[in-house]
Amino acid sequence: MILLFLENFSISLSAVFANKTRSILTALGIIIGVLSVTMMGTLISGLDKTFESSMSWLGKDILYVSRYEWFGDMEWWEVRNRPRMRPEYVDKVKARSKYALAVAPVMQRGASLSYGEKETRTEIFGTNEDYMETITTNIVQGRFFTKNEDRSGSRVTVIGDGIKEAFFGDQNPIGKYIKIDNLKFRVIGVLEKQGKFLGLFSVDKQAILPIGAYSRIFSKRGWMRLSIKIPEDKIEEGIDEVSSVMRHIRGLKPNQKNDFAINQTKAFEKNYNALKLAIGGTGTFITLLSLIVGGIGVMNIMFVSVKERTREIGIRKAIGATKGMIMGQFLMEAIVICLFAGLLGLLLSYICSTLLNKIFPSTLDMWLATFSILMSMIVGIISGFIPSYQAANLDPIDSLRYE
Amino acid sequence: MVLIALDNIFKIYNVGGEEVRALDGIDLKIKENEYLAIMGPSGSGKSTLMNMIGCLDTPSSGVYQFEGEMVQDMDDDQLASIRNRKIGFVFQTFNLLPKATAQHNVEIPLIYGNVRKAERVKLASEALDNVGLSDRIHHRPNELSGGQRQRVAIARALVNSPSIILADEPTGNLDSKSGHEIMEILNQLHQKGNTVILVTHEDEIAQHAHRIIRLFDGKITEDLQVKNE
Repeated sequence: MILLFLENFSISLSAVFANKTRSILTALGIIIGVLSVTMMGTLISGLDKTFESSMSWLGKDILYVSRYEWFGDMEWWEVRNRPRMRPEYVDKVKARSKYALAVAPVMQRGASLSYGEKETRTEIFGTNEDYMETITTNIVQGRFFTKNEDRSGSRVTVIGDGIKEAFFGDQNPIGKYIKIDNLKFRVIGVLEKQGKFLGLFSVDKQAILPIGAYSRIFSKRGWMRLSIKIPEDKIEEGIDEVSSVMRHIRGLKPNQKNDFAINQTKAFEKNYNALKLAIGGTGTFITLLSLIVGGIGVMNIMFVSVKERTREIGIRKAIGATKGMIMGQFLMEAIVICLFAGLLGLLLSYICSTLLNKIFPSTLDMWLATFSILMSMIVGIISGFIPSYQAANLDPIDSLRYE
Repeated sequence: MVLIALDNIFKIYNVGGEEVRALDGIDLKIKENEYLAIMGPSGSGKSTLMNMIGCLDTPSSGVYQFEGEMVQDMDDDQLASIRNRKIGFVFQTFNLLPKATAQHNVEIPLIYGNVRKAERVKLASEALDNVGLSDRIHHRPNELSGGQRQRVAIARALVNSPSIILADEPTGNLDSKSGHEIMEILNQLHQKGNTVILVTHEDEIAQHAHRIIRLFDGKITEDLQVKNE
């Protein structure tokens, strides 16, 4: 058996290599199939990594209360007509909610930051002393501001790692003064480096100000949200409670709809899963389609191969090959074509993912590689079956006469 | 000892609703170490008879015993096995595999017979040596002359030490000199104790044989012992 296997394997190799162009063209469908299935897998696992690390910054136990829903389908004017969040909600929520562990108002705007000659435009945030509890990032140098600093309107700031790098490099920034829109602020802390959110924008270039100073200097109005930390095992209850507290604050009647939105990372997950499903679905569809086309191509070329080698089949049968042996020979040839196609597809996909890895986390994993090779072999078996069966059942006398 | 016994063999084809009797009641016994020529014009059924003897075909009716084994009842795999072990074919058109070397061509019956690599290489080189081609073992058929190709084919036929050598117009595609060489080899094989069956329409070739059978319309019309064994 093993002898025959080796013999068939070497026959197949020489048959495939004798017709290189034909084999490659035949295998194109399979190559594309393997490429698409592996690239899809690579893309999804890359997305997963990015998504997971990005999501970990948001925190599963934080509710984000603001005018608009992250993934809502509301018209923009409807959102615009909703009342704004107000700083005084913080104390009201704290007073009424038993689940809220920390409540931080967050206001945000663009501003120009400078230190000496260096200048950069970035986002600044105004918040209170609870803010650190609502984010997953840590302070790596210095400290966050206190309640008193907030109340007294102290001009202090906690800067992101990006700003620290840009302005101070290796120097210690604590105690130094930077200018925010030409007003001096004392740096009291530096946030840990985070990278890019969903691979899109860096969150390291930011400056955090006490909301007291922020609203006095920049604006009392403007966009604002509340970040509310609730116990991790009481998310649903927390949402319900915060919702009723907010309705009470807003004075809504039972028949009125909410004029605010409570967002949570789950919303991201839901949308992300839908995206993943879409990518997976499209990828699977393309893969199946190209495998079917590729399989038909291989079947076709195997019919040609059987026809071309009718005489050879006759000779082999005359000198003692059984049906099974002939069948094995041609089945092996189909498998070898598909195997080469699979390997070629894998090589291409390896190159693609290596290139892609420069802009997006993507690595070809072993499991997927093995799967795609297995998949191409199965296509080989399926598409080689009928031609091989035909070869095995040729009449030896007729095939010996075949010219 | 009787090697081959054909008893009332018929091979009937249906061509366009009409019955064609390619073999029409053949009775034939071939003993060990006979040197037999089957002759007849085209359409006489000699090819069908050769295919029948070579176990490439089975009779429509009748009994065919090959060394006591009932060939007419065999399935395809059993026929393949008997061809592999007991019959060595030599064809008019050589029928070598074009991409394989002489050595490899000779090894193929051994591969199907599941002979190990080392043994296979040894047997194949010996067989090629026997036909005087030991210096051509790595040549492909297109690098060999017609006579050399037919000698490779003979080596392939011999390599499994078959019970009979079945040669179908072995010199048909050769010039007279090469043809003569091939007939010499077949004569030697017979002298060494092999059973040789020639299928030919040339009297000159048939003269090498010791017994000549003539076929016409699927029937044996003449069975002549021309030389004594």
